[in-house]
Amino acid sequence: MEGTKRKRSLTLPQNKSGLFRLIAAVVVFALLFWRVGAVATVSQFGADTWLRLAVSGLILGGMYALIAIGYTLVYGILFMINFAHGEVMMIGAFGGYFVFEAFNAIPVTSADGTTLSLLNSYPILAVFLAFLVGMSIAALAGFLLEKIAYRPLRGAPRLVPLISAIGASIFLQNAGQLLFGPQRREYINPDLLTRGTGWEIPIGESSVMLTYTGVFSLVLSAILMIGLFVLVQRTKLGKAMRAVAQDKSTAALMGVDVDKVISQTFVISGLLAGAAGVMWGIHNQLINYFTGFLPGIKAFTAAVLGGIGNIPGAMIGGLFLGIVESVGPAALGIDFQLKDVIAFSILILVLIFRPSGILGEALAEEKV
Amino acid sequence: MKTSLQNSVRNGVVFGVVIVFLALIGFLVIAASLLQKMVGNPVGLTSMPSAASLLVFLGFLHLWNGWRVSHNKEDIDTNVPLKTRILRGLTAGVTTGLFLLVYALVVGTINERGVDMRVYLSMLSSQSIDFFLFNQSPLVGGLIQFGFSAAAAVVGAVLAKFADSGKDKVKSIQKAAVAWSDKSWLGKVKTNPYVSYVLIGVVLLLLVLVPRQWGAYWNYIMGTVGIYVLLGLGLNIIVGLSGQLVLGYVAFFAIGAYSFALVTAPDPHNLQFNFWIALVIAVLVSALSGVLIGLPILRLRGDYLAIVTLGFGEIIRILLKSDWLKDFTLGPRGLRNIAGPTLFGREFIGDIDFMYLIILAVLLALFIARRVQDSTVGRAWLAISQDETVAQATGVDTYKYKLLALAIGAAFAGLGGALFASRNQFTGPEDHVLMVSINVLCLVIVGGMGSIPGVVLGAFALKGLPEILRELESYRLLVFGALLVVMMILRPEGLWPAKRPNLEVKQPPPEPETDTRPAAIGGGS
Repeated sequence: MEGTKRKRSLTLPQNKSGLFRLIAAVVVFALLFWRVGAVATVSQFGADTWLRLAVSGLILGGMYALIAIGYTLVYGILFMINFAHGEVMMIGAFGGYFVFEAFNAIPVTSADGTTLSLLNSYPILAVFLAFLVGMSIAALAGFLLEKIAYRPLRGAPRLVPLISAIGASIFLQNAGQLLFGPQRREYINPDLLTRGTGWEIPIGESSVMLTYTGVFSLVLSAILMIGLFVLVQRTKLGKAMRAVAQDKSTAALMGVDVDKVISQTFVISGLLAGAAGVMWGIHNQLINYFTGFLPGIKAFTAAVLGGIGNIPGAMIGGLFLGIVESVGPAALGIDFQLKDVIAFSILILVLIFRPSGILGEALAEEKV
Repeated sequence: MKTSLQNSVRNGVVFGVVIVFLALIGFLVIAASLLQKMVGNPVGLTSMPSAASLLVFLGFLHLWNGWRVSHNKEDIDTNVPLKTRILRGLTAGVTTGLFLLVYALVVGTINERGVDMRVYLSMLSSQSIDFFLFNQSPLVGGLIQFGFSAAAAVVGAVLAKFADSGKDKVKSIQKAAVAWSDKSWLGKVKTNPYVSYVLIGVVLLLLVLVPRQWGAYWNYIMGTVGIYVLLGLGLNIIVGLSGQLVLGYVAFFAIGAYSFALVTAPDPHNLQFNFWIALVIAVLVSALSGVLIGLPILRLRGDYLAIVTLGFGEIIRILLKSDWLKDFTLGPRGLRNIAGPTLFGREFIGDIDFMYLIILAVLLALFIARRVQDSTVGRAWLAISQDETVAQATGVDTYKYKLLALAIGAAFAGLGGALFASRNQFTGPEDHVLMVSINVLCLVIVGGMGSIPGVVLGAFALKGLPEILRELESYRLLVFGALLVVMMILRPEGLWPAKRPNLEVKQPPPEPETDTRPAAIGGGS
């Protein structure tokens, strides 16, 4: 059988399964190009629509990227899919929701006699606190998750922690449903971040709107990603994380407290997922107990797409997946209902044809 | 001393958090009303259960709290002095009690101000808060909870003392009893082959007689359990025997149900095939889909395979629901008027007939699963599930056998799906959500991966019990999730573990007594 480390060359694969994969890849891409070409020539959409879709995809992709980093960090260190990561994001979203609710409930009368809610008198404080609370709660959830559901299973066969993770995911989802009810809840934004308002960018005759919420999310996710990159590359904790990811026992010999580093990794991924959750609420308005599930799976797709275990890969994968999901249905000329199918198909195609992802983290045999 | 008190505080914190969580999700009310129902005094629809039942339920938890801290792992000697035990129990109880007191004060005060907490926390009605506070003011109610927690934990700690001192006695009595029964009658019964035939005969007789007796409701529930046994047996082949974690098992269930429905329902294609032909078609189509889906993805291992199959399950569901396939599957509306079985011109209409059909299918599936497991194929699967690389190196065509496992598992699911669609005379996309996969996975894991009796037991425990305890319906999945985590930590082999891996892996045969020193390197110097 072929190893994953084998160099990919353009010569025809020697064995049957390789040939099969090659043929399948050619067929898939031919179909894809034919489809996109057919739609592009008909061209029912103008440049403004494409740009609008791309922008909304980019914003979505920023959130996917933040969640995907969590998957990648954990996978890089423990070689397990933290299946409950999407639920951590959901918990963060609810944390932010309750902060906004609390701020909205308190009226403040200013000096000139107008009564505003606390939310609109101190919008920046409210947003800051929402992120602080959402991120902290999500980090706490990640920390507890590791401590309760994963730590006792260190060293068990690989299916065991995965099943535990699935269990934790179901548990958190249903705890969310029982606590907050099945209905969707509306995020109350401060007026500063009213949905549907933004800067108009004229494109030809029409224009594309860059919403405040979208720009805010995108900028914030960029800042967080840069922060994470600095943390991993420049700090002592980052060094420890990289050491543990490379070789746990050697890292332990060098004086790294492996358990502590793993805990901190879960806290960091929880922080990022929590931020993504609050952004999700601010930008997409509605949240419920199921909010975390689909973004979770899609972010996992993004992490795989970029090469799991590879942090820049997760970022690029997230942005790419967001754009593809947003532009894809229009480009392929299919129903927008089927956008989830596109994301799942990408996951399957990537795993079949290039399991090492775009940036190609070397997935040694023992890691896969 | 200090560490044991820290331990008690930690235990108290865990219990405090758990009890507050149970209160927040409204479980305390449900548990109390269940207790009351058991005593034979069911609670009305609008009223709350009595305070006594709440105290009994909480009392169990508090006793457990004290019991746990009374004797912990650090004590090598089981003979911990009573004073220490009481102190530990008190510490744990007070810690838990503080949580309850704070919770009572916060929630009670908000409730007294007339804020409807249900806007934020859906289970926290004003009534249930009053119930938690025993209809007292927040402070008094909280103090009652606090005192009760501390007192019950101390009692638990003291009880543990007696239990510990009585433990050795109980153990020796138990041992003697087992030895006696083995010698006098159980040993003879165990070794006698006719006993198992008689047992099988009794079970078969019960299976024939019981469905006639217990009415439509029970037949419906047991039919569902039977269909889940079918699904579980199928997934058991994939996950338990060949060791491939598949999360999109519902895809095959859906394919079976839809292919059966499409060829029998009058709408949209009006094919109206005979039931038995349609059943065969459903099984074959599912098995084929298993092969087709498996071809590209079975190269993946472990968690990647899990995620990809989950993706497939979702794709199938979304496609069934989509407008794109609306002319073919009728979209979200689903398919109606699916045919029931006929045999020699007689129509199966009653629930009893259908129950028999399901029982027959389950028996057939049990037989097939059993035979396959004990065959060469089963051995190959065992090798793959233990170590794929080694299996390949020893000459097992892993790809082929994994495909076979997926195909057989899918066929079982297809049969289950067809029966399910036929019994309900309806199938729609919402019958085939991810939760079906999760349910089946749960029952396989809880029962014991790779164990056929485990699957049956798991199906009864996870599908039958919740049907009986209707009140707990909304907590079912919560418990499933927690159960998966707990099972993985405490008992990963399941309730009724499979025998073979134990025999072959966990107890390796003793090393042969041969001289393993390298024989005369360098030519007998």
